[in-house]
Amino acid sequence: MEFSLLAAALLGIAMAFAVLRLERVHGVTDRRDLVDLVIGASVVGLAVGRIAAMILQGTNPLAHPLDLFFVRGGVDTGFASLGALGFLAWTARHDFWPTLDLVAPAALAGLAGWHAGCVFRGSCAGTVSTLPWALHDGALARHPVGLYAALLLLGGAAALVIWRRSLPLGVTASLALAIAAAVRLATEPLRPGLGSSPVPWYWAGLTVGAVGVVIRVISARSRNITDS
Amino acid sequence: MRHTLVLGLVVSLLVVGCVQSVTNTTPADPLPTISPDDFAALLDASDTPVVVNIWASWCGPCRSEAPLLHKAVAIYGSRIRFIGVDVNDTQDGAADFIAQYGLDFEQYFDPHSSIPTALRSTGVPHTFFFAPGGELRFAQHGIIDERTLAVRIDDLLR
Repeated sequence: MEFSLLAAALLGIAMAFAVLRLERVHGVTDRRDLVDLVIGASVVGLAVGRIAAMILQGTNPLAHPLDLFFVRGGVDTGFASLGALGFLAWTARHDFWPTLDLVAPAALAGLAGWHAGCVFRGSCAGTVSTLPWALHDGALARHPVGLYAALLLLGGAAALVIWRRSLPLGVTASLALAIAAAVRLATEPLRPGLGSSPVPWYWAGLTVGAVGVVIRVISARSRNITDS
Repeated sequence: MRHTLVLGLVVSLLVVGCVQSVTNTTPADPLPTISPDDFAALLDASDTPVVVNIWASWCGPCRSEAPLLHKAVAIYGSRIRFIGVDVNDTQDGAADFIAQYGLDFEQYFDPHSSIPTALRSTGVPHTFFFAPGGELRFAQHGIIDERTLAVRIDDLLR
């Protein structure tokens, strides 16, 4: 039995939990259900992404339902993100943007924890590198690309926590989506693969996030003009 | 709401049905067997790197990684020798599995799991990466993910 994937997932949840806890301590929110929301969205996203990956790989989920639990066999990033966002949108439909803005930095921190979990999984290695901090993996040294992604995402989460109060409603959530996608796009060239990297999904995430930022900023400005 | 759920269910079933329809199997020749000694000699004599995947048709994780192996063979098949060893299985099960996932590379049938035993492997799946001449570079016990497979192949080719 191999628990490295579970360790990575638990680190992700722990980091998301830490950010939510920090926000409660600092009085940003008194909502106690945000941890449930983040965990619920993660589980739904994982399930949707795994089912999608199975179908795309040619395995019938109805004929092999237990394969759903072989998460390491592949989770489709795009469908997983849609599943998680769909869960959040449905659960927070009466309080949409405020809830998403609260959850967004925690989601980025959770993703950072998941990527940092490559240390447990022995899967941090990227393309070959001669940089002093490259990880020695066998005879070769390689970029610790999982740790790069974790640091960038953590930086994004910290920036959102700091600046969120000065941002219009919905901008934090949109920025978080754009940051998550941009980090994957930026680190993708350093990730060896077999050509099935979901780069179009990352571009879609970046575009939707950027468009979301623009729309929310324009919406906030027009509301301010109307109010004054 | 109920209509949406029913529609979603119907669409899902259609998608799953389509997946099934394209994975119908065709009869194939039985897989050859090979002794552990001959297998070791094969590895020693290989002048190209070799990736050995131990699998079985009843093994769920093997189903998950099979598409990755198919893709790896398509990309690196000219530079790396890929070998599958089907263990504790039936010839029918093996033929169905190979046809379903298009694993049409060098395959051997090992009903008593003697080759994994010789490689000190327990359980399936298990993937071994050998340098030319048969030197074991890396072994992955359990499902292998795309990046690990790509990194290990990259190691073999350098």
